[in-house]
Amino acid sequence: MARETFERQLQMLLDQVLVLGSMVEHVVLESLDALERRDLVAARRIYEADLQVNEKRYAIESGCITLIATQQPMARDLRFLAAILEIITELERIGDYGKGICKIIMLLSDEAIDPVQIYELQEMAKLGLDMLRRALDAFVTCDATTAREIPMEDSKVDQLYNQVYRKLVEQMTADNTTVDRANHIMWAAHNLERMADRVTNICERIVYVATGEMKELDTT
Amino acid sequence: MFTNLESSMTEEKQITPPTLHLDIAPKAETTQLSDKNKIEIREFSFFYGKFKALGNISMQIPANQITAIIGPSGCGKSTLLRSINRMNDLVPNIRMDGQIILNGENVIGSGVDVVDVRRRVGMVFQRPNPFPKSIYDNVAYGPRLYGISHRYGLDEMVYNALRQAALWDEVKDKLHQSAMALSGGQQQRLCIARALAVEPEVILMDEPASALDPVATLKIEELMQTLKETYTIIIVTHNMQQAARVSDFTAFMMIDNPKTRTGVMVEYGPTTQIFTNPKNKQTEDYVTGRFG
Repeated sequence: MARETFERQLQMLLDQVLVLGSMVEHVVLESLDALERRDLVAARRIYEADLQVNEKRYAIESGCITLIATQQPMARDLRFLAAILEIITELERIGDYGKGICKIIMLLSDEAIDPVQIYELQEMAKLGLDMLRRALDAFVTCDATTAREIPMEDSKVDQLYNQVYRKLVEQMTADNTTVDRANHIMWAAHNLERMADRVTNICERIVYVATGEMKELDTT
Repeated sequence: MFTNLESSMTEEKQITPPTLHLDIAPKAETTQLSDKNKIEIREFSFFYGKFKALGNISMQIPANQITAIIGPSGCGKSTLLRSINRMNDLVPNIRMDGQIILNGENVIGSGVDVVDVRRRVGMVFQRPNPFPKSIYDNVAYGPRLYGISHRYGLDEMVYNALRQAALWDEVKDKLHQSAMALSGGQQQRLCIARALAVEPEVILMDEPASALDPVATLKIEELMQTLKETYTIIIVTHNMQQAARVSDFTAFMMIDNPKTRTGVMVEYGPTTQIFTNPKNKQTEDYVTGRFG
C-alpha cells in the first residue's frame, strides 16, 4: 500500500496536462485550416475558445499548488509537479500562437495568399505538433532519451521558417503593396517557429523530471 | 513511561459493560440535520470544574469525509474530539453546554444512551492498545459485548473488520495468536478493526499515527481514504502535514488568551483553503510555521 491516493492525484494531473496538450494542438491545426479556407467565422470561434485553454491551465496550476501544499511532494514527485507548472505555461503559449494566427486571418480578411506559403506554414505546424505529441508521450513515460532527441528537430522548423521569410522579403522588395500581407504571413510563420521552441522547453522539463538535471538542450 | 502506561490504561476503559437497550433509551432533543452533514456542533463549551476548556465551538462535520482538527498543544482538540462520543464522561467534575448533534440527536443531552453513542462513534487512540488476547478475540470483543455469540456471525464480522482495516492478508493465518506479537502499525490497524467490528457511523482518531514509523503511518493514512467511503472520520493531529495530506476539511483551534486558556475555533474550511489561502491571519501564521 504505497501512496495510492497521492499517485492517483498525480496521474489525474498528468491526464489533464495531456488534455491541455490536445486542446492547443487543435487550436493550432484549426487555425491553419481556417487560414487555408479563409474562414473568418472559424477564426473568430477559435480565437474566443482560447479562454477554455486558459481555464484548463489555471485549473491544472491550482491542482499542482494544492498537491504541493497538502502532500509535501519530495524528489521526483516534486520535480514532476514543478515541471507541470512550467509545461502548462508552454502549452498555453502554444495555444496563444494558434490564437495569434486566427487574429492574422481576421486582419488579412480576403487578401490573396500564395497556396505554397500556406503549404509551408502547414508543414511547419505539422513538424512542430509532431514534436509536441512525442514530447508529451515522453513526459508520460519519463523518457529523457527521447526528450533530448526531439529538440534536434527544431532545425527543420527553422529551415522552413527561413525559407518562408526569404520569399516574403523578396515579395516585399519587389512589390511594396504586399508589405502588409507579407508581414502578417511572416508573423504567422514566426508563431509556428516559436511553437517548436516551446516544445524544446517542454523537453528540458522532462529531462529535469527524469534526471534532476536543469539545463538547456542542444537543438542542433 | 509511567504517563504512557497510565494513559494507555485509561484508554482501555472505553469498553463499557454491555447494556444492550439500544431501542429503549430515551431520546434527547432531536434536530433536523442536512443530509450531507453527519455531525453538527452548536455553541459547544466544555468545563473541567471551573476551567472553561472550550468556548462556543460551532462546526458542521460532513458525512463520508475526513475532518482534521489542528492547533497548538493545549487548545482543546482532544477534549472536543472526546466530547463527540462522551469519552470525557470518564473525567470527574466536567460540564458541557451547547449541542453535539449526531443524526438529529443531541448526544450530550440528558438521557442519552452513552453506550450506544460509543458504539456509533468509535475511537482510535494515539498508542495502539490491543487487549492481551488473540487477534480474533480483539476484533470479536465488541460484537460479543453486544450479544453476538454465533460463531459464523462472529467469523464474518471479524473477517469484514480485518479486511476493511487492510490487515486481513497479514494476519489471516495467525488469527488465534496474541495481538501483542504484531508490529506497532499492525496493532494500530487491529485497533481500527476492533472499532469497525461494531459497525460505527463515525470514527474518531486521536493522533492515530504519532507512535508509528513513516511506513506504518502511510498505511494508516491510505486506510483512512478507503474507510471514508463508509464512515465519517474526525482526526486530531499535531502533525499539520498529516492533516494536509489526509483530510478534506480542516479546523484550526487555539486558545483565546494566555490567562483564560479557553480553546476556540479560529477557522474551519476545506483543507485546500486552509493550507493554500487561509482567511484568518492566525491560521496563516500557524500553517506557515510562524506561530505555535
